[in-house]
Amino acid sequence: MALPRSFKRALWVFHVATGSCNGCDIEIVAALTPRYDTERFGIMLTGTPRHADVLLVTGPVTRPMLPRLKRIYEQTPDPKAVVVVGGCGATGGVFYESYNVVGPVDEVVPVAAYVPGGPPRPEAVIDGVVKAVAALETAGVSK
Amino acid sequence: MNGIDTGFGVWNPIAWTLLFAGALVIAWVFRVLGRSDYKRGSEQTKAFLSGNEEPEPEKLHVRGDHLYWGLVDGLAGYYRRIRAVHTGVLSDYVAWFVGVLGVVLIILALVR
Repeated sequence: MALPRSFKRALWVFHVATGSCNGCDIEIVAALTPRYDTERFGIMLTGTPRHADVLLVTGPVTRPMLPRLKRIYEQTPDPKAVVVVGGCGATGGVFYESYNVVGPVDEVVPVAAYVPGGPPRPEAVIDGVVKAVAALETAGVSK
Repeated sequence: MNGIDTGFGVWNPIAWTLLFAGALVIAWVFRVLGRSDYKRGSEQTKAFLSGNEEPEPEKLHVRGDHLYWGLVDGLAGYYRRIRAVHTGVLSDYVAWFVGVLGVVLIILALVR
């Protein structure tokens, strides 16, 4: 399955906060500001996963967000890539084995790229999205 | 194409038919340009409600009484008492009628 034209023209990204402290969310928003201006690459945030190519997930997955993350992942059209932004989503971070946390994101949905940091810089977020798409291209889009 | 001059404009069925046909063609083009590789019967065909489960259509329906919800809510104390009185039993309503009528007659007798 080849990547559709939408991946080559403009990459639309949907942001899901599954329990983050908003630190990573602020850095994602910073990536959209004129200083970094991801829209010049065609990368932009969309308001619905149904138009998205990439899911940006921040924070560990809390129990209330578990069914919602699964539903949002399923509602995103294939092919899709999930990018975890921040250490909490990648490993649980400081919320590791907390009573109200299900676990890191990759225990719920398949993840294409991790962006470590607490929070990572906007350059790293952009790099993570680009690497996820590159991984999809080389892997032949299996997800 | 000569239409019928109604005094408020021109009615021409052929022109309207062509207009609707053109609109249908445009709609069809939009549909063809869309993606067809979505999974039927999965979450991909359901509405996105911030990740929440899509409620039953009956629960999403805007009912007529939603229009005057504020009035009902503002008079909640009044409605609570009135609803308790409305038993649905006819003899209760007759008793209320006779009772209120009796009170009115007593008041009228006292006033006179």
